[in-house]
Amino acid sequence: MQTVPERLVAFLPNLRRFAISLCRSREMADDLVQTACERAILAADSFVPGSRFDAWMFRILRNLWIDHLRRQKTAGPHDDLEEARDVSVPSGEAASLARMDLLEVTAALQKLPEEQREVLVLVCVEELSYRDTAEVLSIPIGTVMSRLARARKNLAELTGISFGEKRSFDTKGGVA
Amino acid sequence: MTRHDFDDETLMAFADGELDEATSARLEAALATDETLAERLAVFFESRLLVAGAMKPLIDEPVPEALLKSVRRMADDARSGETNAGNIVSLRPKPQRETRRWLMPLAASIVAVITGVVGFTVGRNLDPATLDSSAEIATVLDREASGQDIALGAGETLHVIASFRDKNGSLCREYELKQASSSTVSIACRQDQTWVTQLALSSAKAEGYVPASAQETIDAYLASIEAGAPLSPEEERAILAP
Repeated sequence: MQTVPERLVAFLPNLRRFAISLCRSREMADDLVQTACERAILAADSFVPGSRFDAWMFRILRNLWIDHLRRQKTAGPHDDLEEARDVSVPSGEAASLARMDLLEVTAALQKLPEEQREVLVLVCVEELSYRDTAEVLSIPIGTVMSRLARARKNLAELTGISFGEKRSFDTKGGVA
Repeated sequence: MTRHDFDDETLMAFADGELDEATSARLEAALATDETLAERLAVFFESRLLVAGAMKPLIDEPVPEALLKSVRRMADDARSGETNAGNIVSLRPKPQRETRRWLMPLAASIVAVITGVVGFTVGRNLDPATLDSSAEIATVLDREASGQDIALGAGETLHVIASFRDKNGSLCREYELKQASSSTVSIACRQDQTWVTQLALSSAKAEGYVPASAQETIDAYLASIEAGAPLSPEEERAILAP
């Protein structure tokens, strides 16, 4: 079984991806990742062997981010939004149509409220289960599900992937 | 027409593979005849694919060298701290970035515990430039009496604090390496003609001053190796290389 410090290095790309999705800025994301790693090493004893390392790390990182947001109540404009969009798009042979879609999706993601974006990323990108996501965010699993459903409908609306605007997104259960 | 009442969260759980078997079966049956239900479900499948498609490639982006190095160093330090330093508290120095956005309450002024052969690892938690000076440091430790400031290349100063013997009788020296932006207090012991660093505490911009917590760490370490009293100048002279 690898120790926390050993796992950290291998997990950096994931951690950084999650950080970028939270901060929407690479520079901030890198600082956040670094600090999260420091925390993780200091708190290595609190990691339960056999439990999910990714969820544990995401939680540390995300808590630091929340602390930061609280301290910084008035968040300034995110300077490298453009850059974030560009890099998250595959280059080279990707068809220009696909590229447009991805740009649109990334832009839409940035527009989502913080709490929706983070559940979306944890579940759909990092592929955590609802339960693990709930643990990372310290919220009930029901809240994970309602936020995630809202996030996806918002995203669908923003990107226009929905099938026909006639359907109301607020309908719950059954058919409108 | 929908006979079953499937809410959004149920549809989403199905798309995410989180729906229990019984409900999944009912939903599948309903989907066969209910196009509207299928459309609602498709939103959840598609949104997942879209987000994954947009964000997943980020993982291929190279981790910046500075970040990678820094975390590797932390991991190395933590490992050597664990195996060799027993109960000594090991904290990383604050990385020297101009402004940290995440002001950590911890790690305010100290530091790291490292061990290893001077020639190779004394610089591990210092600036890369220090690596070059390890051989010089070893020479100074071999020859120079305590209490002196010795100028090394690259604007560094080595101050040898004291000599003593550990419980095995090995000669050990405590010294401080002062650099432009940080200073490191180390304890190295000679084993088979090689200086092996036992402990190194770096603090940023702490010229002529060791934080109290660092001093405590040093004292705790000295106690743990049952360090003898500092050698007198005469005793020291008799041991050091001419």
